[in-house]
Amino acid sequence: MSQIVRAFQPEVDQNTCIKCGNCQTYCPEGTVMLTEEGVVFDYRYCKGCGVCANECPVKAIKMRREE
Amino acid sequence: MGIIRMLEGNEAAAWGAKLARAEVVPAYPITPQTELISTIASFIANGEMKAQYIKVEGEHTAMAAAIGASAAGARVFTASASQGIVFMEEALWMPPGMRLPIVMCMVNRAMAPIGGLRPDHNDSLLQRDTGWIQFYCENSQEILDTVIQAYKVGEDKRVYLPVAVCYDGYFASATATPTSIPDQKEVDDYLPPYKHEMYNLMPGEFRTIRGFPQNIAKARYEVQKATEKAKGVIEEVDKSYGEIFGRYYDGALEEYACDGIEAVFMTMGSMTGTARDVIDEIQAEGKKVGLIKMRCFRPFPTEELRKLAKKYKVIGIVDRNTSYGSASGSGIVAMEVARALYSLDDRPLLLNFHVGLGGSDVTMRQIRYIADKVLDAYQTGKAEDETDWVELKDLGEVM
Amino acid sequence: MEVNKLFDEYYEKSLFQGGSTCCPGCGGPMFWRMALEAIGSNSIIYGDGPCAGCAIRNIKLPTFGIHFSFAADGATGIVAALNAKGRNDVTVISAAGDGATGDISFGKISAAAERNENMIQICIDNEAYMNTGIQKSGLTPYGAWTTTTPQGKEAPKKRIPMIIAQHRVPYVATISVAYPRDLKAKITKAKSISGFKYLHTVMPCPTGWRFDPAKSVEVVRLGVETWAWPLYEVENGVLRLTLKPKQRPIEDYLKAQARFRHLNKEQIDYVQQEVNNERQRLLDFDGKSVIT
Repeated sequence: MSQIVRAFQPEVDQNTCIKCGNCQTYCPEGTVMLTEEGVVFDYRYCKGCGVCANECPVKAIKMRREE
Repeated sequence: MGIIRMLEGNEAAAWGAKLARAEVVPAYPITPQTELISTIASFIANGEMKAQYIKVEGEHTAMAAAIGASAAGARVFTASASQGIVFMEEALWMPPGMRLPIVMCMVNRAMAPIGGLRPDHNDSLLQRDTGWIQFYCENSQEILDTVIQAYKVGEDKRVYLPVAVCYDGYFASATATPTSIPDQKEVDDYLPPYKHEMYNLMPGEFRTIRGFPQNIAKARYEVQKATEKAKGVIEEVDKSYGEIFGRYYDGALEEYACDGIEAVFMTMGSMTGTARDVIDEIQAEGKKVGLIKMRCFRPFPTEELRKLAKKYKVIGIVDRNTSYGSASGSGIVAMEVARALYSLDDRPLLLNFHVGLGGSDVTMRQIRYIADKVLDAYQTGKAEDETDWVELKDLGEVM
Repeated sequence: MEVNKLFDEYYEKSLFQGGSTCCPGCGGPMFWRMALEAIGSNSIIYGDGPCAGCAIRNIKLPTFGIHFSFAADGATGIVAALNAKGRNDVTVISAAGDGATGDISFGKISAAAERNENMIQICIDNEAYMNTGIQKSGLTPYGAWTTTTPQGKEAPKKRIPMIIAQHRVPYVATISVAYPRDLKAKITKAKSISGFKYLHTVMPCPTGWRFDPAKSVEVVRLGVETWAWPLYEVENGVLRLTLKPKQRPIEDYLKAQARFRHLNKEQIDYVQQEVNNERQRLLDFDGKSVIT
């Protein structure tokens, strides 16, 4: 599997997160998962579209520019 | 033991599909194929044939449904003609590449415009590059037998290619001739149920060959190789079919009354029957001209033809088609023959005749004319015309 | 790594493999992820053609397709083969884009509806030929910019769901990826009905509609809230609005997408009037037969 090129990657502030699961529901690729320990991302397949951050009702997900 | 009935070509094809136990028949009516599909519809209505008859809204869909059904594991039969074949051309390219052994009757009819409802071979010959195997049949018996053989050839795992069974509209499709109908039990033994080793669309057992090949040339060469292998399989099937049902068609090429003869002409389709009669007559008159019938146009029988070419000094090719602006104004078959024989050191003289265009009758008089021209060329060692539009010649009274 | 293992286990169970070749924020994989949960594993997916096909490649079910001019017809063959084999348990899904559904294969879908083929036909509508580089289709809405309508499309969008409903098929519904629960409920209902079922889903396209990929869901939610994309179903001819949101001005939806950027006040008013008329028509027919 080739490396996905993306400009931004999502990061979650687990303290703000209310575990509603919107990010998991709307992620186009299924690369967001809500676990007991909070939200985790699969950076192997995430394209950095930012849908998860946009759909988060409490703005717990931020898109950070990748180096 | 089979029974003998007077069957029209279209009915014979329907019998072939029924005996082969075709499971899905997507079809759209077009003259002169209509009787074929209405016969199948009545077989199904009577309960004689168990098949899903899809009454589609056009030929493009007919072939597409055939592709879907064949990939999903059903034995498929369909039929079309002329404008219908060309309308489905986009779909016709799919089964060879997808390796789906669909059998289709192409009931030849001239293409519009300057055509009519009657036959010439341009509609099916136009599909020669698609990868379909093409048989050209002479009469009802051959149509019935070839439909069954077509499944045997196409479904052979060395081949896995679609097969077109072509025959002339009206002259073959609507002419009733005595036809021996094989016993269902014997056909069942000969043709086991369809099972494709490369495909399975059932959930949990999914297998397919589709996708984007890394090497496109290699993927295409696979299809080319399959057509090459089909030549041997066609010979095999003709032999094994003959052993059971007692009728042989000499594989791809048939020589008729060619013993000790060095000048021949070559025909395709229903005109062969007329040509046989003419050959009998003129040989009785002492004229030494023989006949070759081309039964299988794709894969083109290159090797067989080269073998025959060594025996003959002159070959006249009778083309029931036109290829406007082609090399020497030749017909399609003549061009193929020329390419096949070009690499021989000792090449026979080639003559080309256009007859029966747009479905006009190929008369005994015209065939006689062709035989005479072939004989002339044999005696003089040169051809008068490279390409001869026989119908434009005044041959006197029509026979 | 722990997280990777977690995802690998999830992909193993899921019917959709992440990492499709679709654009970031594409509604295609989003739709299939949601839909496949309702479709279930005992299904065959038929369909091909560029944008809708990109996501289809990542579906872990038997998939088969020919070309985008072959909507519904190959599936007809598959249904026939299943009937011939006596396999009535398998669901056949036939997917096509808006170009196939509205333009080149329109007749095929109409014919499959007329024959009442036992399959679920889904139109995944991103409102233009996106894979070939954003060209206008029959389902491109009025005013939208595409590379072949540089000044905006002159004609309105074809109303395919209503046209299919007039074929008197048992089930027609519109769906949106912004409302996953409604989407899954409608697919589940379609699965339980025998005959031809038609579903029409919006597929947000950041590339062709020209908005930030992050707003994918937001934009199509606006579509529903402004009544540009009303959610309804037509069961045995009877219309039912499955969602009656408080109407927002159409400008909210149009302004969110740069493909409508050039529209002037007059044009926006025209679109608003059209939407209002359609909304009123739907409300009038709610609970009644729409078959003429």
